[in-house]
Amino acid sequence: MKREDIRVAILRIEGTNCEEETFRAFARLGVNPEYVHLKQLLGMDCRKNERRDIFDFHCLVIPGGFSAGDYVRAGTIFAARIKSKLSKELKEFVIQEYPIMGICNGFQVLIELGLLPGIDEIISDYPKACLMTNDSNRFECRPTYLKCENRGKCVFTRKIKKGEIRLFPSAHAEGRLVLLFGKEKEMLKKMEENDQIVFRYVDPDGNYAGYPWNPNGSVDNIAGICNHIGNVFGIMPHPERVFYGYQHPDWTRHGYREFGDGRDIFESVVDYLVRKL
Amino acid sequence: MIERLLIRKNLPFQLYEVNLKEAGEEDLLNISINLGLSLSLDEMKKIKDYFMDKGRNPTDVELQALGQAWSEHCCYKSSKVPLKMYLFDVAKDRIVTREDAGVMEFDENHYYVVALESHNHPSAIEPYGGASTGIGGVVRDVICMGAQPIALIDPLFFGPLDCKYEDLPKGVKHPRYLFKGVVDGIRDYGNRIGIPTLCGQVFFHEKYIGNCLVNVGCIGIMKKRNLVHSMISKPGDILVYVGGRTGRDGIHGVTFASAELTEESEEKSRSAVQIGDPIMKEPLMHATLECVEKGLLEGLKDFGGGGLSCVCGELAYNAGVGVEVNLDKIPLKEIDMAPWEIWISESQERMMFVVDKKNLEEVLHICKKWDVLAVPIGKAIGEKVIRVFYRGFKVLELDVDFQVAGPVYDSCKRPHIPRRTEEKEEDFPMPNLERAFLKVVSSPNVSSREWIIRQYDHEVRGCTVIKPLQGIVGRESHGDAAVIKPLENSFKGIAVTADVNPNFLDKNPYWGACSAVDEVCRNLVAVGAKPDSIADCLNFGNPERSRVMGDFYEVCRGLSYMARSLNIPFISGNVSFYNECNGIAVPPTPQLTAIGLIPDIRKCVTVDFKKEGNPIYLVGETKRELGGSEYYRLLKLEGGIVPRSNPNLLKRYMDAMLKAIWKGCIGACHDLSEGGLAVCIAEMAIGGWVGADVDIGNFSNGLREDFKLFSESNTRWLVEVKEEKEKEFERLMKEKKLKFYRVGTVTGERLIVRNGRKELIDLDVDRIDKAWRRTIWNAMG
Amino acid sequence: MFEVSISIELKKGITDPEGEATFKSLHLLGFENVKSVRTEKVFKVLMEGEKEQIEKEAEEMCKKLLTNPVIHKYRISIREVEHD
Repeated sequence: MKREDIRVAILRIEGTNCEEETFRAFARLGVNPEYVHLKQLLGMDCRKNERRDIFDFHCLVIPGGFSAGDYVRAGTIFAARIKSKLSKELKEFVIQEYPIMGICNGFQVLIELGLLPGIDEIISDYPKACLMTNDSNRFECRPTYLKCENRGKCVFTRKIKKGEIRLFPSAHAEGRLVLLFGKEKEMLKKMEENDQIVFRYVDPDGNYAGYPWNPNGSVDNIAGICNHIGNVFGIMPHPERVFYGYQHPDWTRHGYREFGDGRDIFESVVDYLVRKL
Repeated sequence: MIERLLIRKNLPFQLYEVNLKEAGEEDLLNISINLGLSLSLDEMKKIKDYFMDKGRNPTDVELQALGQAWSEHCCYKSSKVPLKMYLFDVAKDRIVTREDAGVMEFDENHYYVVALESHNHPSAIEPYGGASTGIGGVVRDVICMGAQPIALIDPLFFGPLDCKYEDLPKGVKHPRYLFKGVVDGIRDYGNRIGIPTLCGQVFFHEKYIGNCLVNVGCIGIMKKRNLVHSMISKPGDILVYVGGRTGRDGIHGVTFASAELTEESEEKSRSAVQIGDPIMKEPLMHATLECVEKGLLEGLKDFGGGGLSCVCGELAYNAGVGVEVNLDKIPLKEIDMAPWEIWISESQERMMFVVDKKNLEEVLHICKKWDVLAVPIGKAIGEKVIRVFYRGFKVLELDVDFQVAGPVYDSCKRPHIPRRTEEKEEDFPMPNLERAFLKVVSSPNVSSREWIIRQYDHEVRGCTVIKPLQGIVGRESHGDAAVIKPLENSFKGIAVTADVNPNFLDKNPYWGACSAVDEVCRNLVAVGAKPDSIADCLNFGNPERSRVMGDFYEVCRGLSYMARSLNIPFISGNVSFYNECNGIAVPPTPQLTAIGLIPDIRKCVTVDFKKEGNPIYLVGETKRELGGSEYYRLLKLEGGIVPRSNPNLLKRYMDAMLKAIWKGCIGACHDLSEGGLAVCIAEMAIGGWVGADVDIGNFSNGLREDFKLFSESNTRWLVEVKEEKEKEFERLMKEKKLKFYRVGTVTGERLIVRNGRKELIDLDVDRIDKAWRRTIWNAMG
Repeated sequence: MFEVSISIELKKGITDPEGEATFKSLHLLGFENVKSVRTEKVFKVLMEGEKEQIEKEAEEMCKKLLTNPVIHKYRISIREVEHD
């Protein structure tokens, strides 16, 4: 399929707020992104020409922000609203291997939805992991280094080699990945086997390190994961904020370059879709 | 007692007629006090005359409306004269418009928009709610011009964090509590609405113990064709109330800002502090901007101080028309509110759309899509009158001009005596410089602000191209200004900085104000931006005191002198008086937020040293000007001359510096301010994680070593020049006949400062970093 | 009418950063007798209907929205209240 025919839904509700930069990233790569309010999928308060269906799109993205104020728990209200009516279609979307990405708050939504970690099922009835309050008990906005751990399963990182280190900024208060108590080891092992670990936090030299390099205290330094199929991807740091070189915090030290470390995430999935469709 | 003057109307709801006809002078004052109007006797008399002319008594709704409209906060009665005299006409032809926010040209097709406000009193009582609603208000100011907010600014002023509990005046909260509450409030609100908090300043001073200052600013960007004015377009236009419900929150918020804080403020004023709802604001912003983009709005205004009353009054006044409003339509939080409460409530997250009938349906649909409440509540009429109905009864009828124009006090009414300042530099023995250096670097007003900055999302929206913290990742230092690139298809950038040094103003309001302008310009130039406009938030004590009013005049005069010579307009701001507690006023604090433009952000520079071997230059002249300096403050020295400034000279320096930066001669650049040369080098070394070898022997001959290191003279920068561009840089400076000195090189892991052969400071950068970085962390945990 | 109180706390073994930060601050303020702080969140839900049905629905609410079973446990208590 041609790039301009690929339709990407940038999903939002009240409190979503990283949609513009996410939209721009896709638009810049020549595909056709669209802002879609969840109510347009649910058929609430919208005119006929505003009504949308999940299968109108080839890729769903849940951007960062504070959906519904992150009240109750980060991402959970957004997730509950999706689950109320769209569970079945969403499951079908994943089975047909269309890609879904959640960034920051979007990752929290995917976890609460039960689409991630997705170790041996497409979508679980109840969440099997949680993105909890950072160890520092604070919202923190800081550059973080991520090491790509994926061997090729994840469709969002195929343009990034295993072992490569990228700088994506983090900005969240609830990013500490916690797995089912008592089952962490087992889950981690399976995820490792399934090639579901996508990024881990490292220091500038590439070593697994503690705070502040791991900004939240996440288990096993995990920053991003995908499901067992590789088409649902969640990540806490923001690749869309380093799409261009001048968005990097230290670009004045290294000279100007056009593109930044985050571009390959978007390029990978667009490339996947071009081949798939 | 005024009960005998209140006549309850025989109606199914609460409405009083206030019997002004039979009220004597004492009664008038008591009415003002008892109804919480904060109006003076003269003002009450004026109101009485007005109604006697009409041959009737006012209702409580009418008196409350006037109390709001005439309060210091809404109509600037003390400050109008000096502001007009000094500030409003500076570079006026460059301003597009100045309403709720100031509008300036960005490029051929776009404007940028700036709003700056104080939110001091509410924050002193309830820091979390006060700070968050402050942001809410200023963001609405920007949206209601039709602009997309793209950056927040928040300059804060507190008492010292290590202040002893027993030293706090009764009823006053500890600075640490206030500081944490305010930062939490800004963080939770700003982050949630998805607007980056780009810059600010935090300043600690004893005189802010009783009355902290919380100023908030917002910048927006818009297409020129989307500009919407705060006015009705024609009779027949519909007023649509949009956003949150109206409750009792904030009733008397405005009049409260016009009275000094006292011990009892906390108990009495809780209801004046409002609570913000960022998750209401976020869709409100989307809905409003969608309506603007589709050209559906004739006019637009946000609800600020004075609520519905002021919004309706000003929308009508600006257009020379009137309005009729039906209070029954207003969505309420509590059903039993009296009409006067509904009319002046200051509940947050509300906007008023002025809509042509033909567009009403589309506007209501867009709001519904975003789950934003929208209700038509009234319409514009040709007659210049405000009429309000409630349950079929007319509860208010006022002439628009009488309500909105308000009384203006001229200079005779508010006596102002400029203070006499005697400044002298006195001799004292020089302390150990290395120890003094570490002390200055770790002092609360100099040390790292990382604790605060990291809690704010400063790069949401992906447009922040020069961050507030600059340098090697994990080792960042303070930048002078942050830069945003607001448009996808243009490399043009907006730089923002916020600064003022209250220590200077405390000693010399005139030169302190001049220094503030000098400093914000320096900051902008340091990243490569040309200063374009300034927003000013003027925070002072009680204007009824001639000394305070004298300071106010001096500050305005100073700002005017500088800005006029530089041709930079004041495009937004406000005046906040009565910042006092138990008779102690805050230092005169004209907080300046300045905006600069950069033709191409790829030319920006940051403060961190880049490359070993590069030469370091000091640009500008260093004098014995240490009055109000951080150095004297630590040595507990009272005297000293506050730094002077010469705007014409400053302009020449700025031109040359910008040329050098835009030509790519410069690797790193930092302005010299608090802590002088010493702090400047330290911050550049910390950010670059590299040392420097600096000789202070070859400039300002005869000046003592400590003065050279710690003087805070204006119009100076420290510059790392690229080795291969040295000649070009020197030529640019010589062309303009400017003072510049090659003082050293970037090298090694230690910061070495010497005077010829004599070594003054020799410290590991790591050691300086530790001293600089931990102060606020240690105080706040 | 019933008032349903749903108290949600972290499971044992899950770190509670808010509790720990509060603990630290309390010590800084000189409350040295404080040995630990844990946070708990309570939702008060007003409901109409049969008590049994309400109990069932409250359980569902916890599972579907209010808690994440990975980190939370909850208690539900129900009391009858006057009509407003």
